[in-house]
Amino acid sequence: IGLPTNSAQECQNLEVERQRRLERIKQKQSQLQELILQQIAFKNLVQRNRQSEQQANRPPPPNSIIHLPFIIVNTSKKTVIDCSISNDKFEYLFNFDSMFEIHDDIEVLKRMGMACGLEVGKCSQEDLKVARSLVPKALEPYVIEMAKGPISNVYITGGSSAN
Amino acid sequence: NIQWLGNRIDAALVSRHKELQREVCDLTEAEEQLDELISKCNLQLRMLTEDPQNKKLGYVRCQDLRQSFDSPDQLVMVIRAPPETQMQVSEPSEGYQVSLKSTRGPIDVFLCPDDSSGVC
Repeated sequence: IGLPTNSAQECQNLEVERQRRLERIKQKQSQLQELILQQIAFKNLVQRNRQSEQQANRPPPPNSIIHLPFIIVNTSKKTVIDCSISNDKFEYLFNFDSMFEIHDDIEVLKRMGMACGLEVGKCSQEDLKVARSLVPKALEPYVIEMAKGPISNVYITGGSSAN
Repeated sequence: NIQWLGNRIDAALVSRHKELQREVCDLTEAEEQLDELISKCNLQLRMLTEDPQNKKLGYVRCQDLRQSFDSPDQLVMVIRAPPETQMQVSEPSEGYQVSLKSTRGPIDVFLCPDDSSGVC
């Protein structure tokens, strides 16, 4: 045990270190949550499409579907869009005269309900059951946590070493 | 007396120090666990989306898109681009501009019509 001043200094260092790690963990938790959402949404989508293809006994016409990955740009119908395209279609330039939004395909899947409402923490018991069945065992505690609502604090799952 | 008080502060500091050390240790472990889960999850997702069967079934219908952006006054544009395509969005103060640059193949852009034909 050193002099009191040293201990105080060391405590302060540890406190800073603790805060830094908490911040990083928070960030990594939301990264993991997003990956879990993507996994669940994609599996749900594939399942839905497989079922409806089986029911219809044929795949949907190619011009009625859009394969992942894609990006959506949406804007008001009143917006004037000026578009220039290179001959080989490798380059595009869009000019909008009003605001627009960009969304990725995962956002579309979420809006379609493919993430079981987990993205907003609004999840029925049935949804939760489906979601849990779509992830490996090690990720289940996170799914359960996400179903409870948006996470504001750092939580640490205990004893989930099982794979 | 002073001596006694000093010892007490010492003791409090030492126990706080120990506590912090333990907490940082726990957090280190938690972070390592997270790192491992994230890399596993990334791998799972990649395998999932690259599976040929899943690739074939990984689509949305045009009607899904329309329902997702369910406002009748919205124009919905779909962009399908090869991997590593760069997308640049201008500062709003400099106008509303988007540029796309691909190196690996042509980019497809089309509008999602809002009629009920179910065709894009």
